[in-house]
Amino acid sequence: MRLTEDHEQLEELLAGYALLALSGEDAARADRILTEHVPGCARCRRTLADYRTLAGELALAAAPVDPPDTALAHIHRAMDDVPLAGRRPRRGTLIALAASIVALVAMGGLSLVLGGRLNEAQTQAGTALEIVSAMRSPGAQPVHVEPQGDLPPDSGVVEVSAPDIRRLYLAGDAFPEATPGRAYQLWLGSDGTWAAVGDQFWPDDGVILLEVVVDVARYDAIWITEEPIGTVPQDPSTDGRTWRALLPSTG
Amino acid sequence: MREDDQHDLELHRRLSARDREAFVELYRRYGRSAYGVALRVTSQEVIAQEVVQDAFLALWRAPEAFDAARGAFRSFFLSLVHHRAVDAVRREERLRKRTERASNLEPVTGEDPAEDVVEDAYLRVRRKEVRAALSTLPAEQRRVLDMAYFGGMTQARIAEQLGIPLGTVKTRTLAAMRKLRAALQEG
Repeated sequence: MRLTEDHEQLEELLAGYALLALSGEDAARADRILTEHVPGCARCRRTLADYRTLAGELALAAAPVDPPDTALAHIHRAMDDVPLAGRRPRRGTLIALAASIVALVAMGGLSLVLGGRLNEAQTQAGTALEIVSAMRSPGAQPVHVEPQGDLPPDSGVVEVSAPDIRRLYLAGDAFPEATPGRAYQLWLGSDGTWAAVGDQFWPDDGVILLEVVVDVARYDAIWITEEPIGTVPQDPSTDGRTWRALLPSTG
Repeated sequence: MREDDQHDLELHRRLSARDREAFVELYRRYGRSAYGVALRVTSQEVIAQEVVQDAFLALWRAPEAFDAARGAFRSFFLSLVHHRAVDAVRREERLRKRTERASNLEPVTGEDPAEDVVEDAYLRVRRKEVRAALSTLPAEQRRVLDMAYFGGMTQARIAEQLGIPLGTVKTRTLAAMRKLRAALQEG
């Protein structure tokens, strides 16, 4: 096969990649060429950059719509509690919430230490009650998400969800700091296809708490990976720390 | 580089220094476009609001994710919003419900957003350029592009939906992207 034909196929893949439209073998092949070929090929680097730019510009084809009046205020409030890359979240908030949740959780007979990435809503007592409610819901089955490789066994986390709440909670108290330049990402899998859920997160002194609005019943596996800060690949990265578990069937 | 792109760079530099006023100005510049594309992709106001909020928070949290050497801030940020919107619809598995709508994506050519929404003049100009470029695409190329970009569908799903070979979807997509690239390339 001639080089020009090779690049025709590569460009086809890169176009689909930029549009987030690849799946299956094409997605796997794109991942390979992005790591093995593109970095050393000026032509492909240029093509990918152009198509990524184009993918951003295409958003302008949609009619602009005024966001709700309250949206900016809501973002401002959340900004105060979102941990910045390389910075820690507000410790006082974490401790206050962790204390209230642990007290409530203890009533349910399951001891969890909670803390971590929080937004304002999560600092409210209502959230704590939701967690307890999730654990007491019919069909709730806490899952231990196990560390892989050489990670210490106590770095595992607990996933809590229930069929009727469409929320997932993740908690741990010995979670290692992410590799510099990376953050943790939660993935849910279904028949071998993975979807990134929620924002990237960081532990606070080893403590994490994550609440994600998602119907966990549709998934059969959970995976936590390290990803570059601010970017989420189409599939989980396997070159960093990982935690995995199968989710119980709720059917 | 366009003057407005330079202004975005300056706003981004200030935002990186934790300047909230710069953040607000970027929100005012791109909030409408972000919400517009999020709404178009997700078809649900609540999810679109979450997408936009998450995107702006991600920008605030990790501004270094934008690399000016890779292109304009506008493209970077709207691409981020689009990515999150597609992730959201796939996560929620609403594709099946949205298939009919995705098959009948409303044409955007001829829409005049200025009638309803006030936005910066340069964005209005760029929006017209993007729409004009899209309008030059053959219908079959436009269709696969719309289904992928605004329908959040994979190429395999598009092939299944249209009853055409996957290779044809790829070929049409590439042809469309090449034409748009040539039409919208900034000097």
